[in-house]
Amino acid sequence: MNKHIERLYNGLIKENPTLVLMLGMCPTLAVSTAAINGIGMGLSTTAVLILSNLVISLLRRVIPNEVRLPAYIVIVASLVTVTELLIEAYLPTVYEALGIYIPLIVVNCIILGRAEAYANKHEPGLSIMDGLGMGLGFTIALTLAGLFREVLGAGTAFGYRVLPESVSPMGIFIQPPGAFLIIALFIVIMNAIGIKTRQKQLVENDGCSGNCAACAMSCEERKEEAK
Amino acid sequence: MTLNLSASPHVRDRWTTSFIMHTVLLSLVPAAAVGVIVNGVHALLVILASILAAVGTEALFCLLTKRPLSIGDGSAAVTGMLLALSLSPITPVVYPVIGSIFAILVVKCCFGGLGKNFINPALAGRCFLLISFGSAMTRFPMLDGITSATPVAQLAAGKAVNITSMFLGTSNGVIGSSILALLVGGLILWGLDIIHGEICFAVLGGFTLFMGLFGGQGFDPKFLLAHLCGGGVIMGAFFMATDYTTSPVSRLGQLVYGCLIGVLGAMFRIFGHNADSFSYSVIIGNLFTPLIDMYIIPKPYAYHKKAIRAASGIKLPPLRQRIPKPVVALALITLIAGVALSGVYDMTKDTIEEQKKAASAASYRAVVPQAVAIEESEAAMEAIEALGGQVYGTKFGKAYINEAYVGKDEAGNVVGYALSVTSGDGYDGNITLSVGLDAEGRVLGIAFTELTETPGMGMRADEDAFKGQFAGRLVSQFVHNKGGVPGEDTIDAISGASTTSGAVVNAVNAGLDFFHSVLQGGK
Amino acid sequence: MKSLILIMISGALINNVVLNQFLGICSFLGVSKQMKASASLGVAVIFVLTIASAVASILYDLVLKPFNLDFMKTIVFILVIAALVQIVEMFLKKTSPAIYKALGIYLPLITTNCAVLGVALTNVQNGYNFIECVLSGFGTAVGYTLAIVLLAGIRSRIREEDLPAPLRGAPIVLISAALMSIAFMGFSGLSF
Repeated sequence: MNKHIERLYNGLIKENPTLVLMLGMCPTLAVSTAAINGIGMGLSTTAVLILSNLVISLLRRVIPNEVRLPAYIVIVASLVTVTELLIEAYLPTVYEALGIYIPLIVVNCIILGRAEAYANKHEPGLSIMDGLGMGLGFTIALTLAGLFREVLGAGTAFGYRVLPESVSPMGIFIQPPGAFLIIALFIVIMNAIGIKTRQKQLVENDGCSGNCAACAMSCEERKEEAK
Repeated sequence: MTLNLSASPHVRDRWTTSFIMHTVLLSLVPAAAVGVIVNGVHALLVILASILAAVGTEALFCLLTKRPLSIGDGSAAVTGMLLALSLSPITPVVYPVIGSIFAILVVKCCFGGLGKNFINPALAGRCFLLISFGSAMTRFPMLDGITSATPVAQLAAGKAVNITSMFLGTSNGVIGSSILALLVGGLILWGLDIIHGEICFAVLGGFTLFMGLFGGQGFDPKFLLAHLCGGGVIMGAFFMATDYTTSPVSRLGQLVYGCLIGVLGAMFRIFGHNADSFSYSVIIGNLFTPLIDMYIIPKPYAYHKKAIRAASGIKLPPLRQRIPKPVVALALITLIAGVALSGVYDMTKDTIEEQKKAASAASYRAVVPQAVAIEESEAAMEAIEALGGQVYGTKFGKAYINEAYVGKDEAGNVVGYALSVTSGDGYDGNITLSVGLDAEGRVLGIAFTELTETPGMGMRADEDAFKGQFAGRLVSQFVHNKGGVPGEDTIDAISGASTTSGAVVNAVNAGLDFFHSVLQGGK
Repeated sequence: MKSLILIMISGALINNVVLNQFLGICSFLGVSKQMKASASLGVAVIFVLTIASAVASILYDLVLKPFNLDFMKTIVFILVIAALVQIVEMFLKKTSPAIYKALGIYLPLITTNCAVLGVALTNVQNGYNFIECVLSGFGTAVGYTLAIVLLAGIRSRIREEDLPAPLRGAPIVLISAALMSIAFMGFSGLSF
């Protein structure tokens, strides 16, 4: 498969950041109260992700290794601020809905994770595709979760009434417990049909303890650092 | 298959899980029966639907995951029954079904089945329903044709509730709200040692204590009893919090856990806006059980301290690991004493209040002898309220005006005024006295209602030689004379007790001032 | 005074940062596997969050707002947090190597913990003054610590062998979090 297309496939399915890598849980749980939120947040994150991957890939030989994490953060933070300002100016309703979560794209583990795991080691072209793939994978997962939660919890999909009037929706699904339950359900389904999360792959292949606490670094690097 | 879950040192070979669970189920039958009798057929449907859904879900799960069928142990039925009993009798039947499915499937089976869940399935199911369906869950039938509010809601609105009907189960509430029936079942379980007394009584104790301290009505027994009988406290204490799987293993841990649940329950009742808050208290307590078990370690079975110590010279385990039986007894005694004391206080406080009033009425009559009736004056009452307990004026030291009354004769004419003034400047505490004035402001006399000065010195203020000085004099203000030239408005100090006499003079002056500004001016 | 207490209790229980606002989930799910790490992380978060809230509040009130640099707040805050974490790391390394080792990788992770940045930003959004910022930060961190320690306790009881196969690993942790979240919803609506 063409290397660029492979990056797309990887981000969308094979290493879907939300459901396989388990990155970016915070926004996934928080924003997926409605399908449309998923699209809004997902696309803005994708935009930032592509740009951040591009910039970091371009600068990869320039940024010193010891300060790479703070450097990434500054770059990402600037990009996010730019995105925030643009959305605030031109898409006010989206800005209202996404509120606090746009600045939180800064600490969205997906962006820092991909910067660390991919962009700083590969050329800009591939990094862009990786960003696109991961971003779209995130968007799809987010939108799907939002759709489920919206239908079950409010009876609507994208704002349109779906459940018949007589059936009362189960409000718990647009509340925090519902978020956890829906994502758990997705992962259970994935496990059942054989798509394994990265944790499982590592546990089975590398003997990692599976104790991945974070999003910022990929497991291999962390095992070295921990030594 | 015998599965003895209990970790406490019970030696009961014949008590299998199945036996225990079915006993629990039986103990709930009285409450269920009363609920159905009072509320009708729909309540029975709710109970049956809930139990069937629970048992069915567990059976289906076992089938699909190829595990041995576990429904024989009766725990699913118990969950279904508990859930049903905690619902309103007019809940649509589909809700207990959904709740039971959630309770069994998510809370229990996902974690591995019996003994592996960490929160109470029935209550988690109930909370799941509450969050999902909100208002539809809290609709109750109109039993008395007037209101459909539950007793707890009525208490929150400050109204009184009928405790007897709550006891019998005829008041508005969930299906299992007959306290009597629940207690019968619960106490039987306790007697059979199926549930731990430490838990249920600690829950009740913690709840009562917190409610008494912060509920706003002190330890009023009626108030406390009303709160205890409503909102699922009894059911929660005896049947939910005591679930083996989700409660701590050690006795001290159980006490801590029980108190936590009780305190949380009362806290939510007082400061929250939700009548169903007790369910949340129990499951929050469940969350703490693993921690409690980690840090409060139970005595291993057959651990005889002395024998082991003798045998191997090991030091005794630290204090917190020893079961504090005396502490439990002490706490219980204190609690009972506290409740008893409040009860007595409650009974007597009205009588004591009347006594006090009678005493001051007597002293007023003493200082305004011509008055046939002592009445309140609106202007005076307003002025005193406006003072709000603050010091009166700036020239009278720490003087407070307590009360002011108008004295009238048979015809209703004003013959004088009686005021009660306190001076905080006494040598040994407060001095309270009544001042009698006639209609023009002439002092008729003073009488002390509170005088605790030094005998032989300050106490001499009560002698006619001193207090007689005031009688019959018409002045705007008295002057305390400590050895100067006596004048028209001087009061001679008590030699050696000028603080006392000064305070008295200040008090009288304050009274006079009040008279001039309030009583004489308005009426 | 009452409102100050309410801010703390709100941060810790009523709007629990993890179970209600979904901030700090990554480390919450990951670190809660071990009780010791959870407790240590919790303490570190309390320290960093409280101080970060304080510093962020000062910077915002004295520098960013007067000079119309509101849009810089994200960058400034994150740099402050990163610097604070670095300081804490150096401090711990020198004074208590045992704790430093126990926290291991989790200390630098606080930098990317959405909870810290999230709280700093919410404080600004709510217009808190200095004291309110500090208390809000402290209360939130206590809530985080409580949640992670409780989950660690729960996870210590779970044995993977008992679970149906597809539920092993992440799903059961998420379901546990869901149940915790249901329980914590009991705190909503409290007012003093």
